[in-house]
Amino acid sequence: MGNNSDSAISRREFARRAALVSAAASLAPSNLLSSESLATPLPAQQPVNAPKLSPESQVEVESRIQSIFAQSGNRFSDAQKADIRRLATEAQPSLDRLRAFATDNGDGPGLYLKPLMEREKKPSPMPATPKPANTPKNS
Amino acid sequence: MPGEEIHYLSASELAKRIESKKLSPVDLTQAYLDRSQKLGPRFNAYALLTPETALEQANAAEKEIQRGHYRGPLHGIPYAAKDLLAVKGLPTTWGAKPFANQVFDYNSTVIEHLNRVGAVMIGKASMIELAGGMGYRFASASLQGEARNPWDTTCWTCGSSSGSGAIVAAGLAAFAIGTETWGSIICPSAFCGVSGLRPTYGRVSRYGAMTLAPSMDKIGPMARSAEDCARIFAAIAGHDPKDRGTVPIDKGAFTFSPSMELHSRPLKIGWITNAWKSLEPGAARPVEAATKILRKYFSSLKNVTLPVGPWEEAGNIIVAAECAASFRSLIRSGRVSELTDPLGQIAGYVNEQYSAADYLQALKVREIAQKKMDSLFDTFDVIATAAQPIPATPLTLNLETDLAFPDPLGGIGNICGLPAMSVPCGFTEKNLPIGLQFVGRAGDDFAVIQAGRAFQSHTDWHKKHPRIH
Repeated sequence: MGNNSDSAISRREFARRAALVSAAASLAPSNLLSSESLATPLPAQQPVNAPKLSPESQVEVESRIQSIFAQSGNRFSDAQKADIRRLATEAQPSLDRLRAFATDNGDGPGLYLKPLMEREKKPSPMPATPKPANTPKNS
Repeated sequence: MPGEEIHYLSASELAKRIESKKLSPVDLTQAYLDRSQKLGPRFNAYALLTPETALEQANAAEKEIQRGHYRGPLHGIPYAAKDLLAVKGLPTTWGAKPFANQVFDYNSTVIEHLNRVGAVMIGKASMIELAGGMGYRFASASLQGEARNPWDTTCWTCGSSSGSGAIVAAGLAAFAIGTETWGSIICPSAFCGVSGLRPTYGRVSRYGAMTLAPSMDKIGPMARSAEDCARIFAAIAGHDPKDRGTVPIDKGAFTFSPSMELHSRPLKIGWITNAWKSLEPGAARPVEAATKILRKYFSSLKNVTLPVGPWEEAGNIIVAAECAASFRSLIRSGRVSELTDPLGQIAGYVNEQYSAADYLQALKVREIAQKKMDSLFDTFDVIATAAQPIPATPLTLNLETDLAFPDPLGGIGNICGLPAMSVPCGFTEKNLPIGLQFVGRAGDDFAVIQAGRAFQSHTDWHKKHPRIH
């Protein structure tokens, strides 16, 4: 079977999906960075098999990690910090692909929590609730 | 019937016997309770058994039926509800230690609907903690422990509706309610060899259900056949003013009668050629056999490819951002560290970092995907592929490192809110079930049910069940 997706991201059981995803360019507040991050030594080495990122993406990942550690660094063990670094790093290519997908200024966000059920010109081939041929006996 | 495995009969068959008063709802409920008490712990299937309320409901059903007031095909039928549905006065743990003592004083809408049709809730099904919203690395990511697959207890049921899958597969209840944000009905149905329906987004109210990602959460049935799923779906579907995500009244409700399919249109089915990079050999053989059946009975079957785009990436961001918002207080308070899974303890912090611009880009991609898929469904009524490219996995597997493969159909199906159904289509050489998945146009749940029923009218995989002693 062919595969048109080059993504290495996860699949069905939704777990990793929520985990592998990452963050965007939300920069940590400078006051937080200056206090907590200095007090908390960070495991800064790159994870093994880390994806190759552009310098811009690498900076973004680092700022994200710093933001997390600045706010909550004292909650994590060194192993957890390394894991957070890995998660944030591995998620960046997915984020870069999403951003690279061309959308027009006029493309609307599907944010009204509805599936596409109310087509303007194309009536559904069947009503949502099909009419039974006979009176349902049990329903 | 002496010797008959009544606990494996379909809900539809049980309903016939109950309606004709050949089967007592009380006896049936007691039989399922006995079986659940004996076998439930073996599979970690339940978060809670509720024998007292179950027998109370069963007695009420029996009295009503004896008086001639038969409510319909779920009257007196025992079921289990995933433990993220609020049931008044009972613990609703969301599968997670921080919520182990949580009790709501109201029923979720789905429970209300099932009460109204006279179904009998015998317990709350175990689940992955927070439905996997915080991420998880191991099958053991649950307050109830790892759910074991009745077909092979060294294997997982898949998640997050893990207990629901085990309960139906092991014959511990006639059906179960599951939920899906991304894969949590389709995958456990496939791994456990049961029939599962993921309804169109917005057709089943989430009021009273745990919120994970509000623009993607869906609730649906897991049962022994597509017909059972249709009957359960008919009971729980419909607009609900308490859930603003539900579709309007005229598009929400669903009625079902087997006879309606006799007069429905012939289905045009597309076989998806790019849903999976590859199928594991054990899964390939039954799926190949299933395609032959489809080609035999659906002469219009043609190959189709999914549109290419960053659908999974969009879904990832939507789920992560919405989930981080849903559990913001859990993350900020630090109580997320009480979760069982090492990944679940930390991933929320990463997910919290999303920017609004990236979230909105994901929503724009969602709309593009919706339009592309809607165009595809101008040609096909349903599209089909393997529900999963693999059978049930070992319990000890590291899901994060050892089980990663692209799932564009899961991505696009869930961000677009498309209905889907998984039905059993065979077994591996190790006797693990494999599922076949049908996906339809938003709102056309009937088509995926029709496809599932048609497939099951020519096969008997859905009637197989594990040998449990």
